[in-house]
Amino acid sequence: MSADTVPDESTRVPDAGDDVLVVRSLVRRFGGITAVDDVSFRIGQGETYGLLGPNGAGKTTTISMVAGLIRADSGATLVNGREMGPDRVDVKHHIGLVPQNLAIYPDLTGRENLRYFGRLQRLGREALDRRVDEVLELIGLTDRAGDLTKEYSGGMKRRLNIGIGLLHQPRLLILDEPTVGVDPQSRHAILESVEALSVEGMAVLYTTHYMEEAERLCDRIGIIDEGRIQAEGSRDELVRLTGGVDHIRLNGSGDIDVAADALRELPEVEQVDADRRTLYLTVRDAPTAVARIVTSATRAGLSLTDVEITRPDLESVFLHLTGKALRD
Amino acid sequence: MRQLFMIVGFDLRQRIRDRSVLLFGLVVPLALMGVLNLLFSGLDESTELQPVTVAASVPADDPLASAITGALQGIGAMDVTVREVPADEVRDRTADGDATLGITVPEGFTPALTSGEQTRVQIVEGDGGGLESDVLISVTRGTVDRLTAGAEATAAGRAQGLPPDELARIAREAAAVGDRIALAEGRAADHQLTSRGTLVAGQAGLFLLFTVGFGVLGLLAEREQGTMARLQSMPMRPSTVVAAKALTGFLLGVFATSFLLTVGSMLFGVDFGDVFSVAVLVVGVVAAATSLTFVVARIARTAEQANVVQSIIAVVLGMAGGAFFPIPASGWAATIIDLNPIAAFIAGLGITSGGGDVADLGTPLLIMVGFGATCLLVSRLIPDRAAA
Repeated sequence: MSADTVPDESTRVPDAGDDVLVVRSLVRRFGGITAVDDVSFRIGQGETYGLLGPNGAGKTTTISMVAGLIRADSGATLVNGREMGPDRVDVKHHIGLVPQNLAIYPDLTGRENLRYFGRLQRLGREALDRRVDEVLELIGLTDRAGDLTKEYSGGMKRRLNIGIGLLHQPRLLILDEPTVGVDPQSRHAILESVEALSVEGMAVLYTTHYMEEAERLCDRIGIIDEGRIQAEGSRDELVRLTGGVDHIRLNGSGDIDVAADALRELPEVEQVDADRRTLYLTVRDAPTAVARIVTSATRAGLSLTDVEITRPDLESVFLHLTGKALRD
Repeated sequence: MRQLFMIVGFDLRQRIRDRSVLLFGLVVPLALMGVLNLLFSGLDESTELQPVTVAASVPADDPLASAITGALQGIGAMDVTVREVPADEVRDRTADGDATLGITVPEGFTPALTSGEQTRVQIVEGDGGGLESDVLISVTRGTVDRLTAGAEATAAGRAQGLPPDELARIAREAAAVGDRIALAEGRAADHQLTSRGTLVAGQAGLFLLFTVGFGVLGLLAEREQGTMARLQSMPMRPSTVVAAKALTGFLLGVFATSFLLTVGSMLFGVDFGDVFSVAVLVVGVVAAATSLTFVVARIARTAEQANVVQSIIAVVLGMAGGAFFPIPASGWAATIIDLNPIAAFIAGLGITSGGGDVADLGTPLLIMVGFGATCLLVSRLIPDRAAA
C-alpha cells in the first residue's frame, strides 16, 4: 500500500465509530429539483446495505456523492472515518465503484481492462498480476481473459464490471444496479459473488429496484423514494411497518356470508371481506392460522376450490410507505 | 502525475490501434496537399516568362525612338528580340503571330518631342500574348512617360530662352532620370511564403484542428461508454482525466503538424526556415488549438456532437486563416482574421521562411497565446452540457 493510501488517523471524524461508511444528511439539488434530500445511513464492516427504490428515486445521485464523483450541496460522507469528496484522492482508494453503465473498454481484453484500472489504482506490478488472476477466477472469466470484451455476453461484461471494482480490495464496494439487463443465470452468479464479499468482511452498498435482490443480499435496507429515505432496517423490521399482518384469500361455493361470520369468530382473524365467491381475510401469522381457518370455513358449509396466502414483502412495504408500487 | 501519463499512454495506444489519427491527421491532409498543389500549380510563382519578338518600325537615326526599342531589349526577366520592319507591316506581322507586340514610332519623333509638338507611338498587341505582352506594353508605356517628362522639361527650358544645345541636353537628362533612381525591390518578411508553402502550412493548420479534437472526443467517449464515472472514482483528482485528454490531443497535434510540415516541405520543395523557430510556432498553434477543444467539450453533449462542432470550427478557422487561399479583407474583418491562430501560424511560417527567427515571431505567438487564454476562459464560464 502506498503512503498516501494509509489512513491518517488525525483526519478521522470522531463520531464515525467503526462504520466503514457514514452518510450524514446528504442533500443534492439540480436546478430547482432536489434529487437527494437529507439522506443518512451507515454501513459497518462486512455489512451489505441496500438502497431500494424505483428509477429516479435518488439512488445513483446518492452513490455518486458517496463515491466522490460529485459534491453534495450539504451533508457529509465519511469513508473509513474520513470525509469523501471529488478531490479526496486518499479516501477514494478505499472504495470500489461498479457503475450502472458498463464501465469497461470494448476494444480491450478482459485482462487488459483489469490491468489498466489496477494500475490507476496504484497497484504494484506483483500485486497487480496476483489480483488480476484472483479476480478473473472469482468472476469466472479466466478462460476468456484474453478475448476482447466486445465479444463477451452481457452477463460476462457485468461480471467484469464488478471484478474491476474489486481489484484493489476496497473497504467499501459500491454497486449501482449491477444486474440490470442480465439473464437469470448471470444474475444468480452476480448475487452469489456479492454474498461472498460480505463474508470476506467487505462493506457493500447495493442499489437496486429489484425487491428480491434486496431481500436476498442485504442485512439492512433503506427504502428511498423522491430523494428521501422513507424507512430503514432489516427485512423483518421493515415488514413490521406494514402492521405485520398476512392476507388469505378463499375461493369456493356455498353460503359466503355464513362462512364469513364463522371466520370472524376466530381470534387470529382481524378482518373479513367478501364478495360473491371469495373471502378476503386479514390475519396474524397466516401459516399457523390457515388450518383452523380452512376447517372453520368448511364446517360453515363452504366448499373450497382455492386457498392463497399472501405474506407482506418489501413491495408491500414500499406500497404501504409511499402509496405506489416499486416499479411505478 | 503518474496516472496522468498512464491515461495519456493508454489513449495514444488506442488512437494508434483504431488508426483514426493516422487517417485524419496524416493521410488525408497529405492527399489534399497533393490535389490542391495540382489544382493551383498554374498560380505558382515559378512560372517563367517566355521569349518574345517585337515587330518595330523605328525611324533611322532617331535617338529617342531608339530609346523605346532599347528599353524593350533591356528587360532582364525575358528574352526580347526586336525585329525592325516597315511601318505598314507592323500590324500584319503581329496579327500573323510573328510578333507578340507591334510598335510604330513616327518619323521625326525626336524633333517633335524636343520642339514640344504632339506625337504618337502606336502599339499593336497580338493574340495570346499573355503576361509577356503585358510586360512589353508596360515597359513601352514607362519609356514613353520618361520621354514625355523630357519633353516637358525641354519646353520649360525653351520658355526660359535656353539655346537648342542646352535644350537637347535637358531632354536627354530628363529622359534618363529613371536610371538615377534605384528601385530596391524587397518583400516584407511575413509574406515570404510561396504558394506551395502556404498550401503546406495551411493544410497542416487546418487538419491540426481535427487532430487535437481526438482528445476531447476521447473525453466524451469515456462519458458515453460509462468509463468516466469509474475513472473519476479512481484515487486521482477529476482534473487529471481532463488534463490527460488535453495532453493526448496536444501530443497528437504536435506530432501530426510536425510530420505534415516535414513531409510536405520535402514533397513540395518548401523551406520553412529555422527549425527551432518553426518548432516554437508548432507548439504555439497546437496549444491554441488544444485550448479550443475545452470549449467544444463544454458545448457538446456527445462525441458525435463534438465531432460536428469541431469540424465546423476547423473548416471556418482553416479557411479564414488561409488554408486554401488567402482571404482578402480589410478593416475589422481583417482584424478578426488576423486573430485566427491558423492565420498567425501561416504568417509565422512566412516569417521563418523569409529568414526570421523566434525574436521576429512576437505577433503570431502573441495571437496564439491570446487565443488560447480566451478559449480557456470561455470554457470556464460556459456550463458543461454533457455533465448536466
